[in-house]
Amino acid sequence: MGAIVDLVLGVVTSIGGFVEVGSISTAAQAGSEFGYQLIWAIAIATAMLAMLTEMSGRLAAVSRRTVAAAVRERFGIHFQLVPLTAELLIDTLLITAEIGGAAIAIKLLTDVGFEWWLLPLALLIWMLLWLSGFAVIEYGLGLLGLITLAFVISAWQLHPDVTDIGRSFLPTTPNHHYTRYAFLAVSIVGATISPYLLNFFSSGAIEEKLTESKLWVNTATAYLGMCFGGVVSMGVLVTSAMVLQPRHILVDSYEQAALMFVPVFGRYAIPLFAGALGIGCFGAAVELTVNTGYTFSQVFNWTWGANKPRRDCARFVTAFTLVLLMALAVALIGFDPLRLTMLSVALTVVIMPLVVLPFLVLMNDRKYVKEHTSGVIANGVLAMLTIVGGILAVVVIPLEMFGG
Amino acid sequence: MGPVIAPTEGMGPSWCVLIAALLCAFTTACNRLDDQLQHHREKFESLAASAGFIGNAWLSGSTSGTYTATALSQTFLLVENERATLASTPDALIDRRGAELSDSAEALSRVIAALLDDVRGADAAAVRQRLATIPFAPPTYYGRNR
Repeated sequence: MGAIVDLVLGVVTSIGGFVEVGSISTAAQAGSEFGYQLIWAIAIATAMLAMLTEMSGRLAAVSRRTVAAAVRERFGIHFQLVPLTAELLIDTLLITAEIGGAAIAIKLLTDVGFEWWLLPLALLIWMLLWLSGFAVIEYGLGLLGLITLAFVISAWQLHPDVTDIGRSFLPTTPNHHYTRYAFLAVSIVGATISPYLLNFFSSGAIEEKLTESKLWVNTATAYLGMCFGGVVSMGVLVTSAMVLQPRHILVDSYEQAALMFVPVFGRYAIPLFAGALGIGCFGAAVELTVNTGYTFSQVFNWTWGANKPRRDCARFVTAFTLVLLMALAVALIGFDPLRLTMLSVALTVVIMPLVVLPFLVLMNDRKYVKEHTSGVIANGVLAMLTIVGGILAVVVIPLEMFGG
Repeated sequence: MGPVIAPTEGMGPSWCVLIAALLCAFTTACNRLDDQLQHHREKFESLAASAGFIGNAWLSGSTSGTYTATALSQTFLLVENERATLASTPDALIDRRGAELSDSAEALSRVIAALLDDVRGADAAAVRQRLATIPFAPPTYYGRNR
């Protein structure tokens, strides 16, 4: 019975926590510019994410180690400094983007400049991390995040052509704006598979004392939760394609993106969009922040845990506090939230091979996962997609940023 | 298109390569300007369409005055940014199409500013009138893939 409850809670919170600033902005832009044509990118990224999260949970359950701790042990600190630094940089940018997204959500409802909300939001994140345990961070915010199902409802209400959507699961070349198309495909992958998720899920598995006997719960949660989450992301794309594209509206701001709800939800449209954006971004900012504490503590072997009294894990708290302050500093310097988001998620794909490839090696090391090693297909597909994505990102990011 | 120069007897292969390269560069420069203007036009059309959608949503009671003001302010800022980018390319402004685009963009900017004022004053009749004057006709080349 307990396992079933764990499974349902895990799946529901995975759905609620799936959509955040990156997935909303990339899917909204993709839908407004290319219709359904980039659905395949969401599908591939979701499948990759499901495989990776399942693996990270499996590693934690079998080896009792998180991804960061296992990489540190297996490859040494000198090796790990490279992915650690890259991940720290990206996580800082992503925290800034998420706080920015939450601030924009409040701005949509209040007309008070988003810059005014950055500091209070950062303080709220820190207070939540200081006062609450892992269950509140994971389940509380995940359940609130179910508001993002509004994207699926709106897509459903708009009666899209299912055959067209089905056809878009196969990649096709666009008939215009090739660089932009490739950039959006890369960004969708980066927004869906944030490297922080690997360590966050494995840390969560340790926090919740996941055991080898419950590996099936981990597998079912990862695949069901992520697949349903991917449907929410597709809901954003389909709604944007059906509402914004026919009106020739390209998404250059969250204010424009919010319009996608108007035909379906009428006067509830903007509050719903703001709620979905705000809660999604706030939840992701909290997860990202606590994960930086996890990562540093696990790499340097400090005491860590969101469920531990804060005085027992002072360095864990200091680590996430410092990263949150860095993100806040970047935010206060001044930035365009949408542009920063697009840049961060695209850069995520560049660093992905640094994080994913060592992880795949671990998942084939019997010292860590015993007989639960990954199959040849999973290894091959993940390694190939990660490398291809990284190379594509290196090519298209400069072209997109500096004019292809 | 650049002028077509017929090869003469005295021209060696290196001259031909040079001329071909110059022609290529000239054509590329033309294409780049075309692309730039096309890109700016798409942005302005999108922003004009956004302003229209925002205004109509407010008129139909679907959105609050608070959101409408926020969204129009943001749209105004984006138009101004795009205008500044367009103005920073002298080649684009010298071109007739670029100059027309710049004029229409300025008109769009003014209409959005006026719309913002009308919304703040809750003047629905003025908003309705103003929406009819938004420049940039719906594009014809948007055969986007769906």
